[in-house]
Amino acid sequence: MSAIRSLLRNAVGGVLVLSFALLMALPLVDAAGRSLGGLHLPGSADLVQAVTLWLTFAGGLAATSAREHLTLSTAGWIGQGRAGRAARALASALSAGVAAMLAYASWNVVMANRAEGHILEMGIPAWTLDLMMPLALGAMALVFAWRAGDGWMARAAGFLAIPAAFLPGLLPGGPSIAYGLAALAGLSLLAGTPVFVAMAGVALCLFFAQGSPVAAVPAEIYRLVASPTLPAIPLLAGAGYVLAESGASARLVRCFRAWVGFLPGGMALMAASVCAVFTSFTGGSGVTIVALGGLLLPMLLQDGQEEGFSLGLVTASGSLGLLLPPSLPVILYAIVAGGRDQAVPPDRLYLAGLVPGLLLLVLTGAYGILKSRKRARTPFEGREALAATWAAKWELLLPVLIIVLFASGRTTMLETAAGALAYTIAAECFITRDIHPLRQLPGVLLKASALMGAVLILLSVAMGLTSWLVDAMIPDAILAWTTAHVHSKLVFLLALNLILLVLGSVLEIYSAIVVLAPIVAPLGATFGIHPVHLGVIFLANLELGFLLPPVGLNLFLASSRFGTPLPRLYRHVLPFLAILGIGLLLITYVPGLSLMLPRLLGKG
Amino acid sequence: TLKLATLVPQNSSWFRILQEMGTEWEKASGGRVKVVFYPGGRMGDDNDVIRKMRLGQLQGAVLASPGLAEIDRSVYALSIPLAFESTDEVYRVLDRLRPGLERTFESKGFVVLNWADGGWVRFFARRPVAGPEDLKAQKFFQWQGDTHTLEIWKTAGFNTVPAPAPELTTGLQTGLLDAFLTSPQVVLIMRYFEKAPHMTDLRWAMIMAGTVVRKDAWEKVPADVRPALLKAAQDAAGRLRRDMAASEATDIEALKRAGLKVVPVDARARTRWEDMLRGAHGKIRGAYVSAQAYDEAMAIRDELRKGGRR
Ligand code: NA
Ligand code: NA
Repeated sequence: MSAIRSLLRNAVGGVLVLSFALLMALPLVDAAGRSLGGLHLPGSADLVQAVTLWLTFAGGLAATSAREHLTLSTAGWIGQGRAGRAARALASALSAGVAAMLAYASWNVVMANRAEGHILEMGIPAWTLDLMMPLALGAMALVFAWRAGDGWMARAAGFLAIPAAFLPGLLPGGPSIAYGLAALAGLSLLAGTPVFVAMAGVALCLFFAQGSPVAAVPAEIYRLVASPTLPAIPLLAGAGYVLAESGASARLVRCFRAWVGFLPGGMALMAASVCAVFTSFTGGSGVTIVALGGLLLPMLLQDGQEEGFSLGLVTASGSLGLLLPPSLPVILYAIVAGGRDQAVPPDRLYLAGLVPGLLLLVLTGAYGILKSRKRARTPFEGREALAATWAAKWELLLPVLIIVLFASGRTTMLETAAGALAYTIAAECFITRDIHPLRQLPGVLLKASALMGAVLILLSVAMGLTSWLVDAMIPDAILAWTTAHVHSKLVFLLALNLILLVLGSVLEIYSAIVVLAPIVAPLGATFGIHPVHLGVIFLANLELGFLLPPVGLNLFLASSRFGTPLPRLYRHVLPFLAILGIGLLLITYVPGLSLMLPRLLGKG
Repeated sequence: TLKLATLVPQNSSWFRILQEMGTEWEKASGGRVKVVFYPGGRMGDDNDVIRKMRLGQLQGAVLASPGLAEIDRSVYALSIPLAFESTDEVYRVLDRLRPGLERTFESKGFVVLNWADGGWVRFFARRPVAGPEDLKAQKFFQWQGDTHTLEIWKTAGFNTVPAPAPELTTGLQTGLLDAFLTSPQVVLIMRYFEKAPHMTDLRWAMIMAGTVVRKDAWEKVPADVRPALLKAAQDAAGRLRRDMAASEATDIEALKRAGLKVVPVDARARTRWEDMLRGAHGKIRGAYVSAQAYDEAMAIRDELRKGGRR
């Protein structure tokens, strides 16, 4: 048994490291080939998509075997007694059933892709690469079933859950009991079911109850993973991991302390700024925390900030920068909300979002300064500043490289991300030699991909749940109800803030924009709100929605990255939420913050 | 219930026409058919929508050429570059191709209820483009989703930059991209003309659009109401065509007022484009569109042209 297990683990590990290597190499070859004049890998975009899918699902499997999936830490309350064992057995069996159902449903998706008949280079049918999805999910089901307990009885029950999951489909009353099952899946969170399993279970049951095929859930998972913007995320996160595992954080702390140590809260402001830049690149999918958290949290702690504050700061900073270029949500809003009679051009939206985006950043930093004003300061010393900068030069060059590559128009976003990872590996393995390229690097990448797998699966399952809400037109109903009851501009704006905050925390961000923006834009027009200002309000709300308890994505991601229980995280994030809330109100009720800059530049 | 998805924006005259069609369907069927639309890409782009149709989450969709081509590439026979003189000619060729096209779609499990178009695409660029050599000197955006088209441009010696669609905006800003093929309407809405103020006066190709429904879902519609539904769909297509034809001129006018310059293409430049296409003929006929559909469309066009001169 253990021999098979270690063999499988090595196979999954091999797949993950290979996927990472390909994901990094393919865009780099494209970028280099283009500047060398026309050299180009045919079908490289397809391959990048497939490799991202592999990273997600093989990574998810690795996370399952390493127990890295996010759970609510309530299972500890149940205790070790008989009741505790029973609860854990139930949670594992349910996880096995849900994973099995997802595997079956994703098999259907793969067959639908097969019907498309898309052939990759060298005659490989594209659908064969997608088989990783049902395979990995099926393996996850087996791992969960095995975990139902130590005795054969419990394990048998765990394996029985796999066929049992398909029973509702065979029973005549299946759809009506599915609502009950959805509730059960939700409640099983308390017994320690991973969050992604519970969300997937709820989504599967809801689609089934409505009479739609359950394959709707993995179809949405596939849609997210195969979206062209996603591959940049594991690349940048990989770079963040390599930095976190090297001595970079100590060097960077020394450097920043030397330069801004005399300024109280300088480190907090720096952390928030770095997060903002990163988020503007990753498009506010919340992955900033996963990628940079491991680097920034130790830096803040080494700088002597208290732990709760540091956790709150990193969590809250994870979506700053959503309004700043080249953030994709801004472009998407412009595409979706703009029409022939009411244009919301993206460059204008970027301009308008500049002051509000920086305002939210400054508010976060100001709170950091306030919190640390009593702390000892380091006096500024020119020589130490220069020495510390020199010591951290290779890490400091990374953001310079990213900005130069991208802003000079030499590379696409994906190629920039690949360049960032390649540079980081080169710097930490071969220049500073903090990480041994053969003995340590694969391990670091594996650890990174298990966590990325956990995160990407969580993100994509959230898409699945969002997709049910969209299919059932729930957001439309909420907005329609509100507008029927709201008649003044002031109240409308307030209601808009509330609704967008709540829906923004529940819905995946791109779906939130695509579904809500076309409804909100004409409403805003009837209340006489400038379309560009409305766009800024809209995006600022989504930015805050990431932090809104109980289900804001940043909270989940921070909890899984730092192993902090969610309730504790809620407490630490609250002050930041309050401060950013004030910023949001300012942005909403002072149109000048958004509209002044475009007007000054003659683009009003 | 028929659930139909489309990329057509929610607040557009296009979508209003589709909604009218839905209402007529419900009325004509006496409420036996319910129609729910998911506009503006809520269900994802055309690939996602087709996958969801195949899985049965959606029953139908209003798709543009790239989406229709995911079901069968023969639809690109109507979008062969520089092959047609006018919208009218495209539709006259379509009328003759339709039975065969619709049979092909039916064999893949989809019924096509109507045909309309998304207008002509033209080159827009940072610096003026009259002939192929002007385009070769600029970085040319290609949607990374269509490998066939991408390879054709690449092989013909163009400096293509494959990227996801939203990156066109940032790419124009940073200088990653200079030129692209799209319709004036898109340029107007996205204000691309601020970075790419030159439009080539050449109707490159027409983008088709169509309403498709899963065959089994269509057959579940009571047989006696199907003709009424079909008629409503055809009427809607007529309105869509008129709307599109009318908006082309107004959009270009609006673009000119906003500072767009129209680059004329003289007979010599047009010949150079045609020479370039002739060089890529082996791939356009075969990879871009199946050889059979290509030959059929061209044969019908030539026959119609001859008939017109007689
Ligand atoms: Na969706
Ligand atoms: Na969200």
